[in-house]
Amino acid sequence: MSAVPSIRVADIHKRFGNLKVLRGLSFDVQRGSVVSVIGASGSGKSTLLRCVNYLEAPDAGEVYLEGTPLGSRLDADGRRKPRSLAEINKMRCELGVVFQQFNLWPHMTVLGNVIEAPIRVRKMPRKEAIGVAEECLRRVQLADKADEYPARLSGGQQQRAAIARALAMRPKAMLFDEPTSSLDPELTDEVLAVMRRLAADGTTMIVVTHEMSFARDVSDRVIFLHDGLIEEEGPPADVFGAPGSERLGRFLSKYRR
Amino acid sequence: MSEGLKQALDLSLFWEYRLVLLQGLLFNVLVFLCAAALALCVGLGAALLRVNRRFPARCLGTLHVELFRNAPDYIMLDWVHFVLPLIIGMVIRRRVEFHPFASAVIALGCVYSGYFAETFRAGIEAIPRGNIDAGRAFGMPERTILRRITLPQVVRRMLPEALNQFVSLFKATTIVSLIAVPDLMYNVSMVTQQEMRPLPLYTGAALAYFLIIFVFASGVRAFTERWRRKIGA
Repeated sequence: MSAVPSIRVADIHKRFGNLKVLRGLSFDVQRGSVVSVIGASGSGKSTLLRCVNYLEAPDAGEVYLEGTPLGSRLDADGRRKPRSLAEINKMRCELGVVFQQFNLWPHMTVLGNVIEAPIRVRKMPRKEAIGVAEECLRRVQLADKADEYPARLSGGQQQRAAIARALAMRPKAMLFDEPTSSLDPELTDEVLAVMRRLAADGTTMIVVTHEMSFARDVSDRVIFLHDGLIEEEGPPADVFGAPGSERLGRFLSKYRR
Repeated sequence: MSEGLKQALDLSLFWEYRLVLLQGLLFNVLVFLCAAALALCVGLGAALLRVNRRFPARCLGTLHVELFRNAPDYIMLDWVHFVLPLIIGMVIRRRVEFHPFASAVIALGCVYSGYFAETFRAGIEAIPRGNIDAGRAFGMPERTILRRITLPQVVRRMLPEALNQFVSLFKATTIVSLIAVPDLMYNVSMVTQQEMRPLPLYTGAALAYFLIIFVFASGVRAFTERWRRKIGA
């Protein structure tokens, strides 16, 4: 028997107007494991991630966080009822999100960015939040930049600050949406290094990425999305070593060149 | 130099009546502060309506902006002071009269709320979507996002434009003398009637306004520049 997965994605559908972006996706993320999601742009990777924490509400299907449905609950009669925004917000705190564009709040210092959600959402006393923030900033090796404003940091530093901001909520899992895609090549390594360390520490992670070496070396499972469906999934050795579908082979060959 | 021009540039009369005139200026400042507060609050409300998801709310916001932004301040002032009380009186079946000060604040506050609404709206729409996504992703309620993430950035972004609007609003306070608010221009005309020498007072008044606005605007600019630069706005 296996334990309750940290995150279970069950038959998620999402459409924007006539465009079906996700067409029934299911997978589990076990506690302490890393799942990488790869695929061409437009395959639905980012939408999938945004559905996992209901930044986009899925049209059908459900996401379970440690067994609890995120977007709905059963009422007294056993019927499924959509959750209120307040309830969804409570669940969202358990998922730390790191965005492609960092999305740091520019009017706050790095420290201000990291303590904001713990204070406003978790209602943590300021002093305690600062303690947590300093620890998180040390984990991403940015302790010396705590009082800088984001505009004064490099892209890599901004993304590491964004990772610290997500860690400060002590989430049950971390979601990374192409965390290195808007970075110059020489800055991606420092971000990937931090993510490797998080993975080694046993952080549960879903990582949407174009960094094939990261996906191969760090993840426990790799999911290849095509056209809103899971085309192939498995341990990285299988997915990268012996791609089952021609499409995955073609996709991977573009990265070998 | 002609006698008239010499008289116009002679500030001794202005100095002689400085206390009365200063008192008038105080009224300008008072009208300005109250009208600015009203304009900011109503303007923010209208801007939030204009960016609302719901269509009727957006219509209401647009109606507000177009109505007040396109009304000349002087006509609004007269309308609020003379017509609005009649309408209200008809509804509550009692004779209503507005204190000139109240009319001035309401009229100027409403007209400028139209301008401020547009400034706020532009500021709100300029906030990158990802900033708000980040707030939502961490479970922040909409209210917290508005108060902690959107508005602090909007205020920084809109400051230069808002400063221009504050300056026009302050200048617009000179028309309140027309409904007998005892402001600087009102006192100027009172003294003028008494002394029958209008010209020197006008020069003094012009100088007073210029000085106040210049000092205020430069002060605000100098004070906020560093603060705005930090975020790269």
